[in-house]
Amino acid sequence: MTAQIQLFGAKKRARVRPVWDEEPSIPTKILKGLFLAVYAGAILVPIWAVVATSLASEEALARAGGDLVLLPSDISLQAYREILSGGAVTASLLFTMLLTAIGTAVSLVLTVGAAYGLSRPGTLWHSKILTAVLITLLFAPGMYPSYLVVQKLGLLNNMWALILPVCFSAWNLIVLRTFFMTSIPGDLIDAAKIDGAGEFKILFSIVLPMSKAILAVIGLFYAVGYWNTYFLGVLYTPGMDVKPIQVLIQQWLLASSGPTGQDAAAAAAISSGMKNAPAASLKMAAVVCTIIPIIIMYPFIQRHFTKAVITGAVKG
Amino acid sequence: MMLRSSRATSTLEAGSPPGDDVLPGASRPSSSRPRTRRAKAGATAHGAEGVGTIERRRIPLRSRLRRDWPLLLLVLPALLQLAFFFYLPSAFSVIAFMDYSPYRPFWENPIIGFTYFQMLFQDPYFVSALINTLQFAGAQLLFVFPFSIMLALVVHGIMSTVLRSTFQSIVYLPYFFSWVLVVTIFLQVLGQDGLLSRWLVGIGAERLQIMNDPDTFMLLAWMQWTWKDAGWGMIIFLAALAAINPSLYEAAAADGANRWQRLWHITLPGIRPVIVLLLILQLGGILTVGFEQYQLQRQAVGWGTAEVLDTFVYYRTILASNGESIGTAAGLFKGVIGLLLILAANNVAHRLGEQGVYQRS
Repeated sequence: MTAQIQLFGAKKRARVRPVWDEEPSIPTKILKGLFLAVYAGAILVPIWAVVATSLASEEALARAGGDLVLLPSDISLQAYREILSGGAVTASLLFTMLLTAIGTAVSLVLTVGAAYGLSRPGTLWHSKILTAVLITLLFAPGMYPSYLVVQKLGLLNNMWALILPVCFSAWNLIVLRTFFMTSIPGDLIDAAKIDGAGEFKILFSIVLPMSKAILAVIGLFYAVGYWNTYFLGVLYTPGMDVKPIQVLIQQWLLASSGPTGQDAAAAAAISSGMKNAPAASLKMAAVVCTIIPIIIMYPFIQRHFTKAVITGAVKG
Repeated sequence: MMLRSSRATSTLEAGSPPGDDVLPGASRPSSSRPRTRRAKAGATAHGAEGVGTIERRRIPLRSRLRRDWPLLLLVLPALLQLAFFFYLPSAFSVIAFMDYSPYRPFWENPIIGFTYFQMLFQDPYFVSALINTLQFAGAQLLFVFPFSIMLALVVHGIMSTVLRSTFQSIVYLPYFFSWVLVVTIFLQVLGQDGLLSRWLVGIGAERLQIMNDPDTFMLLAWMQWTWKDAGWGMIIFLAALAAINPSLYEAAAADGANRWQRLWHITLPGIRPVIVLLLILQLGGILTVGFEQYQLQRQAVGWGTAEVLDTFVYYRTILASNGESIGTAAGLFKGVIGLLLILAANNVAHRLGEQGVYQRS
C-alpha cells in the first residue's frame, strides 16, 4: 500500500526538474508527447464515440450514414428515455445495482471481520487460521467442482450465486489486516481495553472510524467487481429472467451478430417495444449506462487514495 | 479484478525499502526476533509475530477461548465462505479420478485413477486449448508487461503535475471496464461495420476484418490487453519508481552517468523487486489467462483460435453432458501446475536474492 499511497499523494506536490537532470532534447520531447497523445486518444476516442452515438438523434445517425458517430449534428435523449422506461434494460440495471449494493456490503462485513479477527498475533488459533486463508492464494479449485457446490446448495439461478462464491478475497484481507496492524496504534486499543471496552466496541468505535478511507477503496473495488459480473452470470444464473447488465449487453450487442438464431431471438426480446429510437443509439445508451457508475466511482477511488495518504502519514 | 489490485498492493509492500516512514517496521527483517511459530504461507505475515507467544502457550485453552472468542467470531463468516467455496470445491476435485455421473449419489461413483488425465492429453481440443493458453500467456508476458514499464518510465518523466495526473486518470480508467464493455467498444471501432471500417470504405479501401480474423487474433488480443490493463500496470510501476531514492540519481549524475546509464543502473534495479514479483504472479497464473475475453470472441474467430483452458472446461462440462470428470481433470491440472509454478518461481526468486511473494520460512 505504502508506495501506491505515496504516489497518489505525491501527485499534489509540484515537481521541479532537479539540477542534475538534463532537459530532454526537443525531438525526444515531441516523440514522447506524440506517443502519450496517441495512446490517450486511443482510449478516449472510442469511449467518446459510444457516448456521442447514444446521444445522436435518428436524423443525425442517418446523415452520418452509419452506426457510430463522432459529432452528432443534433442531440436527443430519446434512446435513454426508451431504455430507462421499464423493460429488460431497466430491470437489469436495477438488479445489478441491487447485486452491487448487497454484494459490497457482504464483502465488507466478511473482510473487516476477518482482517480485525486476524490482526492480533498470539490469539487463539491465529496462525492456523491465517495459513488456511493464505493457502487460497496459491491454488484455485476448478470450475466444475465450484459449480457442483453452488448447484448442491440450491443457488443456481439465484442472485446469491453471484455473491457468495466471490464475496471474500484473501488479497483484500491482507491489505486491510496490514493497515489495522500498522496504522492503528496498539496503545489506543490497549487503553480502550483498560477502560473496559470489548472487542466489538473497539472495532466499531475506534478501528472502523480510523479506517474509513481504506474501507472506501476496498469497497469500491468490490463494487466494481460486482457491477462487472459477467462470467458468474453466464455460469450460475443462465436461467434467470432478469440478467446482470453485462450479460444483457453481451446478448444484445455481441451475440446478436452471431449466426445462431437463438441468440438473435434473445437480442430481439431485449429491445422489443423500443420503437422510437434508432437501434444503434439504444445499444450505445445501454453501454453508457454501464459505464456511468464506473465513471462516478472513479474519482472517489482516486480521492480516497489521497485521503489514505494523509491518514497513513499522520498515524505512521 | 480486486485480486489484481490488491496483488499490486502487497507488491508494493514487498518492494518498499525497509524502515519506510509510512508503515514503520512493515518490511523490516524479522531475523533478530526469536523464531516462534510463523505462518507458513504468510504472504505478508510480517511484524508483531508473537513476542511473548511462549507465555501465552501456557494459558489454558478455556481462558484463551474466553478471551479471544470475539475475534474468532469475527473471522467465522470468512472461514465459512472459504470452507464452502474454496475447500469444498477443492475436495470435489476428486471427481477427476472418478468415473463420475451427476445422476449417481456421490460416493457410488467408482474411482478409476488417472484415466481421464490420459484421455485429456489425447484430446485434440484440450491440447489445442493448452497451446493457445500458453501462447496468450507468453504474449502477455512479452508484450504487455514491458509496455507497462515503458509507459511508466515515460510518464514518470513528465514534469507538469496536471498533465501527469490527467494522463494517469485516462489510461487507468479502462482497467475498471468489464471485458464485455471492452469487446463491445472494440467491435464498435474496429468491427466490420465499425467506425474505422466506414472511414476506410469512404476513402475506397477495404473493411477491417480484424475482429473476426483468426489469423490476427493475437494482435487483437494484444491491443485489448494493452487498452484495458496497461494503465494499471503503469500505476504499479510508477509507484515503484516513486519509491526510488532520488539521491541515488543525484550521486550518479555527479559521477557523470548519463540518462541511459542512470536508467540501467538505478531505475531498473530499483524496480526489480516489483518486476520479479509480478513475473512470479504471472507465471503462477500462466494457465489462467481469463475466461471472458476468449468466451466473448470465441464465436467470432472460432474455437481453434480463442479456446483457452477455462473456456474448454466451460464448454466441455457445463454446456455439454458427460464431461464432468474430464473437465474437472483439466481444472485440477491447471490448479496444480499453477501451484507448482508459483512455488518454483518463488524459490528461484529467493535464490536470486529477491523477496518474492511470500517470505522464506
